[in-house]
Amino acid sequence: MNVTLILLILLLLLLSSTPISIALGMTVLTFLVLFSSFALDTVDIVSQRLFTGLESFAIMAVPFFVLSGTLLTEGGIAARIIRFALALVGWMRGGLAMAAILACAFFATISGSSPATVVAIGSIMLPAMVKHGYPKRFAVGVIATSGSLGILIPPSIVMIIYAVSTSESAGKLFMAGVVPGFLLAGVLMLVTYVTARVKNFPTMPRASAREVWVSFKEAFWGLMLVVIVMGGIYGGIFTPTEAAAVAAVYSFIAAVCIYRGLKVRDMPKVLLSAANTSAMLLYIITNAILFSFLLTSEQIPQVLSQWVVDQQLSPWMFLLAVNVALLVAGQFMEPSSIILILAPLLLPIAKSLGIDPIHLGVIMTVNMEIGMIHPPVGLNLFVASHIARMGMTEVSIACLPWVFVLLAYLALVTYVPAISLWLPGLLYS
Amino acid sequence: MGRIFNRVLDRLEEWLIASFMAAATFIIFAAVLHRQSSAIPWLWDYTGALNFSWAQELCIYLFIWMAKFGAAYGVRTGIHIGVDVVVNAAGPRLKRVLVVLALALGAFFTAVIAFMGARWVWFIHGTGQVSPDLEWPMWVVYLCIPLGSALMCYRFLQVMARFVKTGVLPVPSHGSAAEEGA
Repeated sequence: MNVTLILLILLLLLLSSTPISIALGMTVLTFLVLFSSFALDTVDIVSQRLFTGLESFAIMAVPFFVLSGTLLTEGGIAARIIRFALALVGWMRGGLAMAAILACAFFATISGSSPATVVAIGSIMLPAMVKHGYPKRFAVGVIATSGSLGILIPPSIVMIIYAVSTSESAGKLFMAGVVPGFLLAGVLMLVTYVTARVKNFPTMPRASAREVWVSFKEAFWGLMLVVIVMGGIYGGIFTPTEAAAVAAVYSFIAAVCIYRGLKVRDMPKVLLSAANTSAMLLYIITNAILFSFLLTSEQIPQVLSQWVVDQQLSPWMFLLAVNVALLVAGQFMEPSSIILILAPLLLPIAKSLGIDPIHLGVIMTVNMEIGMIHPPVGLNLFVASHIARMGMTEVSIACLPWVFVLLAYLALVTYVPAISLWLPGLLYS
Repeated sequence: MGRIFNRVLDRLEEWLIASFMAAATFIIFAAVLHRQSSAIPWLWDYTGALNFSWAQELCIYLFIWMAKFGAAYGVRTGIHIGVDVVVNAAGPRLKRVLVVLALALGAFFTAVIAFMGARWVWFIHGTGQVSPDLEWPMWVVYLCIPLGSALMCYRFLQVMARFVKTGVLPVPSHGSAAEEGA
């Protein structure tokens, strides 16, 4: 009864185009006013929670990673990474497209966001591909899709949000994303290679060993970031949040002193833009925490979890249902909101069915990737349509074949837990 | 007069959130450096005198303040996205009504939070509670809720007034990809 009511209020608010954060907060407020004998004291909890909900050092990795991503995107590192990727795979059939995918995978190791990856790599590689005679649609599809690697390959803002909302270890989750992330990059490259053979896309001249070495040296300082972040977290030198702060400072040095894409006087603009995004994310997080507080105090996760157990769903059926639900949700909301709302609901069920929380996190992340290249709210589509100066509809059509590739990959990741769990199991046993 | 007030408010808002961001980054970086260098014996004379145990708390407070005021700035830049499937499918008149309704809801919610936040601050003021590490009065720390929320409410009303007058909404520089300032 209460479940239906809460979800109904939320749905109505969401459909009226109210910002998701406000809709979440209003649902809690409405519910409290209607159903707890309306006393100001009970409602006081709301304003208090809006502060205490954020009082966690783990959450603060989000603004730090956003800042470091902003610095790197504007700092001129993308061009170096692309040069290195081109030197490695540019000579193959469809080499430019394959290099774009590889560059996205590399860039994903230093950025925690997918749209950022699309912007950084796409704004260089998309015009280049079109110039070399690739069909524009194919080029846009490749960029928007491989940009989504940004949230699967660590560091990842989406994974941090999952870790925060489920109290799982962000470090473990990062490790769990490594193999699925690079495997997906491999799958995308394979699909591209086959398409390129069939359609006879152009190749680039083979890069000399010297060029490979020189371009590696150029990209080295950027790629070091992932070594610092992952090595630091795994080696126990710092927590994920501290790693994010170190990454931000490192990106500043790389962008201003090494690659010189930014000047110190650009910093206010960069800081403001990073603050804008992180404040938006933190605002959704606060309200989602408020919302899940309401869910918990109404015992809704327990009720749902009991219901699922009573249905005697087998784990694979549950995972299928989870994937369908997430894909549907991905049509309407952006990743952080979905994870914040659904992860606390799904996790207790998953646990009672013996599904590893880390594995569930990876499944959710891959789902979010699909949502990002699927209309109507796929963020990557917006960004790609902006870069390519194509309409949203055309970009969506361009991405459609890739949606099926990702769906197949999702099935693989869902039903072969070892892909996600092997590396963290090895490192954290 | 009103125009000057708005200008000053805009700049103050931007300056505040950018500085909070920079300060938090610097503090955590310094704290990490300090902890690592404390392990080096010959540096101990210098590092031993410093104490960074308050760094995490300050970082959290800085970011919460940034989040509350940044959320208000976000209304101005149109970064708080909602589900716009229905709105986009609706005719121009219904669309107008829905957009105004959504903005009004935003203004209402933030006004309620500002009011309740103020009550909460007043209550904490009475208890004389201080923060665990920095020992700052908590009511000052909590002030960001009523202040930030009131500013956010003001921004919603501003955006609504402009929409009613001109039909223009702030457009984020493409989705949350504004994220990386693209």
